Amino acid sequence: MNLPCGTRNYDYARDMAVLRTRTHWALLVVLLVVVFTAPLYLSNYWLGVANLIGITIIAAIGLNILIGYCGQLSIGHAGFMAVGAYTTAVLTNKLGFPFLAGLICSGFSAGLIGLIFGIPSVRVKGFYLAITTIAAQFIIIWIINHWSSVTGGFVGISVPYASIGGIEFKHDASQFYLITSITAVCILFAKNLARGRIGRAFIAVRDNDLAAEVMGINLLYYKLLAFFIGCFLAGIAGSLFAHWTGFLNAENFTLTDSILYIGMVIVGGLGTTIGPILGVVLIRLLQQGIMYISPLLESTFPAIPAGFTSGIGPMVFGLVIVLFLILEPRGLAHRWTLFKAAYRLWPFSY
Amino acid sequence: MILCLSLVVAMLPFASACAPKSQPAKVLKVGMMNPTTGPAAEKGSVMTHANLDAIKYVNDELGGVGGYLIEPLPLDSRYDATQAVTIVKRFMDEGCLLFTTASSKEMSAAMESANREGFPGIACFSSPVLYRPPMHIYGQTPDYGDDALAFANFYMKNIWKGQGKPKFALHLLNNPTGYGARDAFRARADELGIEIVSTDEHAATTISEMESLTRIKEKQPDVLFISSTPAPTAVIIKNAKDLGMYPGVTIGCAHASFTKKLIDLAGADVVEGVYGAFPTVLWGEDVPGMAKMTEYCQKLHSDDYENMDYITSWAQSLIVAKILELAVGDAGYDVLSKGDMAAWRDVEAQGIQKLKGYDVGGLQGPVSYTAGDNRLTKYNRVYRIVDGKIADPSEWVEAPLIKYEDFEWFGK
Repeated sequence: MNLPCGTRNYDYARDMAVLRTRTHWALLVVLLVVVFTAPLYLSNYWLGVANLIGITIIAAIGLNILIGYCGQLSIGHAGFMAVGAYTTAVLTNKLGFPFLAGLICSGFSAGLIGLIFGIPSVRVKGFYLAITTIAAQFIIIWIINHWSSVTGGFVGISVPYASIGGIEFKHDASQFYLITSITAVCILFAKNLARGRIGRAFIAVRDNDLAAEVMGINLLYYKLLAFFIGCFLAGIAGSLFAHWTGFLNAENFTLTDSILYIGMVIVGGLGTTIGPILGVVLIRLLQQGIMYISPLLESTFPAIPAGFTSGIGPMVFGLVIVLFLILEPRGLAHRWTLFKAAYRLWPFSY
Repeated sequence: MILCLSLVVAMLPFASACAPKSQPAKVLKVGMMNPTTGPAAEKGSVMTHANLDAIKYVNDELGGVGGYLIEPLPLDSRYDATQAVTIVKRFMDEGCLLFTTASSKEMSAAMESANREGFPGIACFSSPVLYRPPMHIYGQTPDYGDDALAFANFYMKNIWKGQGKPKFALHLLNNPTGYGARDAFRARADELGIEIVSTDEHAATTISEMESLTRIKEKQPDVLFISSTPAPTAVIIKNAKDLGMYPGVTIGCAHASFTKKLIDLAGADVVEGVYGAFPTVLWGEDVPGMAKMTEYCQKLHSDDYENMDYITSWAQSLIVAKILELAVGDAGYDVLSKGDMAAWRDVEAQGIQKLKGYDVGGLQGPVSYTAGDNRLTKYNRVYRIVDGKIADPSEWVEAPLIKYEDFEWFGK
């Protein structure tokens, strides 16, 4: 199954392995070489973009577990990231916690807040659940802004560099290694979660929650577990974001960001491990591409009315999401699957 | 096809990232971050035009600074914090000598990365958090707290004729625009000899403040100070008029709302006599820098004429030019051309911190650096709306330095 022509697995362990062929191993080695030498040929700016992509991938993976696997719509993901970010900021800045402790606590605090806002999912779903998670976004941000003795309120709060065992991650290159490593761990975690017992239960709940309950799946437990895991990963992403930017205020976590994360998961492909990664990379690079195009258009075509290009960004993102929904609702992940299928059958792909 | 198109656009940045670096010309690079797309594009586009028009003027007519042309690197922040963080890294990578931002939001996102590397930045609109305590970020215009104090100073000197302390009621937007004023009054009300009788908040989307104003009215304030944007300010003043508070109470506004849009939204008769602080002169005023700015604006971006944001950003570019002129004169081009930490240090020490009384063609208050105070301009003017127009400018009113970091209630 899912192997190139002429390749077979002879035991269960090999059948379940993530890396099953020599090509897989070779590609992994190439990927590792590319990633670990990236700081040699990427500027700080591009390392910064890569760091942002890594952080966003973690958040998107969490959202994908929630929406893509378990079918629980959440429009408050940026709010849950904010919980993680502020937890790490308060713990490391004000209480002197080490980075790793702050990171883990961020995940748990965001997960616990996610649990609270996930409780309505037991009774409501779809648009109704979406509204409750929007409420989470607004309530969290309101609390951050007004609990100024702890969060710094509208002024904001500084966050020290991440450090592990005396090694301080000061520069973009070292931050890149840190963020990439944690991102890889999160991807592996999500991959294994999705193909295990929990993942299968999530998918059953997503496809038909009544049928799942009849089969003996505890809806309350699994829906809340999905919220916890999804928000835990959002908290981890928030914590890394806080250490990466070095300064937080609530304006970093807007409703627009929450919607953008959903767009990334949709474009990438819901309910797949590779989908959020592809979606995040595409959307984040699109943002950079538009940053190049807008001023270029204004200078190349001076006849364009002033301010016209200001709409290009929102228009392109809207267009990409709409077109993906219409033309490729299964997202980039499906294209990737088609490509792999063609590769597996090669040279008889027709 | 859609997939291919999306991928092509997404891969575009890589084309430039992988392109061979061209030989550096004899230029001084400056990063300019403005929100030309996104929710603040209406302001950001105008401010970008003004920034670039002024640099064009400096390069074309003044021959650059110290014989070297200024090369701006304008980038769109989308008014997005994450974008601002990546942009400031790019400015540093590309050897910019300093960078500018339009808004305090962009700068608050970018400042930590810049401060960590010692990369100097100048925010057009600023808030105390950017430079308290002072590091490598500077404010071009007085912040929202300064607006409040400038107005209060003006009121005490020119309007207040009563006995004892005048009663101030504050109506504040629930974001840094409002909280800047709150913090300034919190720090200096006693010293100014005023009494704060109420502090109310409103949202940017408010459509009625009758309830809060009814409470305020019962406290019989002498002054209603509003630190907000034009739309909510218009609502508050209209409501105050409906309740019979105004005329009667003196109304003062911070600069974020004190524009032509306020008059358009509220109606000229409603806002007649309202005071407001603003950090620049008005279009058409008789100051040395007005003619050239007007000429460039009408020639290159005529739609922006009479937009006050154009004046602030034009002035911002002139200040940048002055800083580079001072720095290149003292440190020399060879040091600056490297665009590294040593160059940034010289731009700050030999450029920004050498600014003394630079008048920016009279377009804004004199620009000076004072040790420990990263506000480059400490002066506001107080205007009054007369016959439906912003008019009747005061002298430049100085806003005193507040060391917010000394107060426990100040965050960070």
